[in-house]
Amino acid sequence: MKAVYSFFKSVRLTIVLILVIAALSLLASLVPQRRPDAWYRSHYSPFVSALIRLAALPRFFSSAGFLVPALLLTLNLGVCAVDRVVRRVKNKSTPRYGPDLIHLGLLILIAGGVVTALGRQETTWSLAVGEDAALNSTYALHLLSLQYLKYDNGAPKEWTSTVRITREGNIEIPSFPIRVNQPLRLKGLSVYQTAWELQGILDLKDADGQEVTATTGQGFPLGQSFWYFAEAQKARDAWSIVAVEYEGKEMKPVSTRELRAGDTLGPYTVLGITAREITGLKAVKDPGFAPFLAALVIIAVGLAVTFVQKNASRYSADSRRGTPADSRRGTPADSGRAEA
Amino acid sequence: MTATAGLLCIALAAVLQAGFLLRRENRRDPVSHWLLAAAALLLFVTLAERSVKISFVAVTGTYESLVFFSAAICVVLFGLRLALRTRGMSPFVMFGATFVCLVLLILSSSPLAPKDVQPPIPALQSYWLVLHVTFSFIGESFFVVSFVAAVAFLATRSEDRRADMDRLITTSIGIGYPVFTAGALIFGAIWAETAWGSWWSWDPKEIWALITWLIYTAYLHTRLVRKMRGRISAVLVIAGFLATLFTFFGVNFLLSGLHSYG
Repeated sequence: MKAVYSFFKSVRLTIVLILVIAALSLLASLVPQRRPDAWYRSHYSPFVSALIRLAALPRFFSSAGFLVPALLLTLNLGVCAVDRVVRRVKNKSTPRYGPDLIHLGLLILIAGGVVTALGRQETTWSLAVGEDAALNSTYALHLLSLQYLKYDNGAPKEWTSTVRITREGNIEIPSFPIRVNQPLRLKGLSVYQTAWELQGILDLKDADGQEVTATTGQGFPLGQSFWYFAEAQKARDAWSIVAVEYEGKEMKPVSTRELRAGDTLGPYTVLGITAREITGLKAVKDPGFAPFLAALVIIAVGLAVTFVQKNASRYSADSRRGTPADSRRGTPADSGRAEA
Repeated sequence: MTATAGLLCIALAAVLQAGFLLRRENRRDPVSHWLLAAAALLLFVTLAERSVKISFVAVTGTYESLVFFSAAICVVLFGLRLALRTRGMSPFVMFGATFVCLVLLILSSSPLAPKDVQPPIPALQSYWLVLHVTFSFIGESFFVVSFVAAVAFLATRSEDRRADMDRLITTSIGIGYPVFTAGALIFGAIWAETAWGSWWSWDPKEIWALITWLIYTAYLHTRLVRKMRGRISAVLVIAGFLATLFTFFGVNFLLSGLHSYG
């Protein structure tokens, strides 16, 4: 037990683990994460692709290659934090709370990260004005209005989804504008503005005379091709849909068509086209966010305390020597070495 | 116009510092830091003008980031030059850091950094972002000083000069590290949570900011805890600065992700 404790309280271990994690993260950052296996096969040579998958680089940050050194560093950090306190009590040395707070904050941050990784829940909706979405078994959201502002150059300036929140049928929040960077916070749940879309709606008649409805974002196979309804456009007060034809395993676009009412595409005849604005909303429940915030506060306080204590001890050392601060031979950091 | 004037001030400061370096008297010129202060002022005026045009703090594009970074380096050099009057801020470090600053500002004039004034898209309209960007660059400005001092440390055999450089590295990282931690990691994570609902996404920029932070953390442990003043610590400082540069340039231009706009 003592040997294990000695092993984990080693600062040399800390340095080695930090550098190992940095080096592995560097490697992983060069490989796009969380793509399907086929993507790596098509973008790298067979040998490199096999190597990437063997090293679990596509999902590196949830693989043993990252988690094992991260776990060891966490244990190392915990033991070092405890050991600092134990040594201070034994030696009755000058307390330096800054590093203690930073270490404690980092441990809470890691705990928050684990809680987030295991417990974070996310739901997305595409809603038109007047539509509802259940946030959970108690709360529901109703989209009152949707606003999309653009700059003069056409770039997006602001998306605002104004919503009403009800609790078991009773109005809880009559109106709240959700914007990018301004989420709705509600009892541990946050609702974010994520997207805006002009959704085209096609009323179609198939070869059997059956009427079906399709929207932009959908498509259908036709022979060796796949036709995709890409976007809605308006010209001379009439809507049209841009359809893109893709071919082959890699789905390369080969042609486009602008569909209007009366046009035919494969077995389908377009009866009519309309469009509506859709907002993209995302609800997130992250039980790791509160510990994360607490950790940030503790780390910030720890950094400030470290800075203040080092400066204070530097100036007291200078005044004991009777030397001005700017001609000293030591550094602010040197003055804090005794306990490190 | 003001940015060009700022560039000229920095270039003039570099020439002056180089002249004093070549005289081999180890004397610091009395003017260049004032030129750097003037350059910083001019660069901040450039950013203020652009901020007025877009009605937001202009630090959201590559050009503006480079201008801010250069201005921050000028301020840090000016401050350290005044604060460390008798020792520490050697002519070589002043020149080296001014040269880095000059290169960054020249890059801001290149096609890599379009100069069109672009208003911020919705995701960038956050004061957490402003804190994230400004604090990160202020921290990194201290890393520039530590980088040049580490190069000087490795280049010299004089124990006295090594001790001076070691002190300068520790002082600059001692200030830069908490500022960088606050900017790159703390404010960045809060902004990400507010904008996207996820405080950490393993985006390439986040990974590289973490790598940079880990390298400087390793340095602090080697230097302050293990009391290693030698080459390993200096090499870590150089590696940390290279990671800083890659976090900005490499990730922006080579790796795509959430930060691909700036």
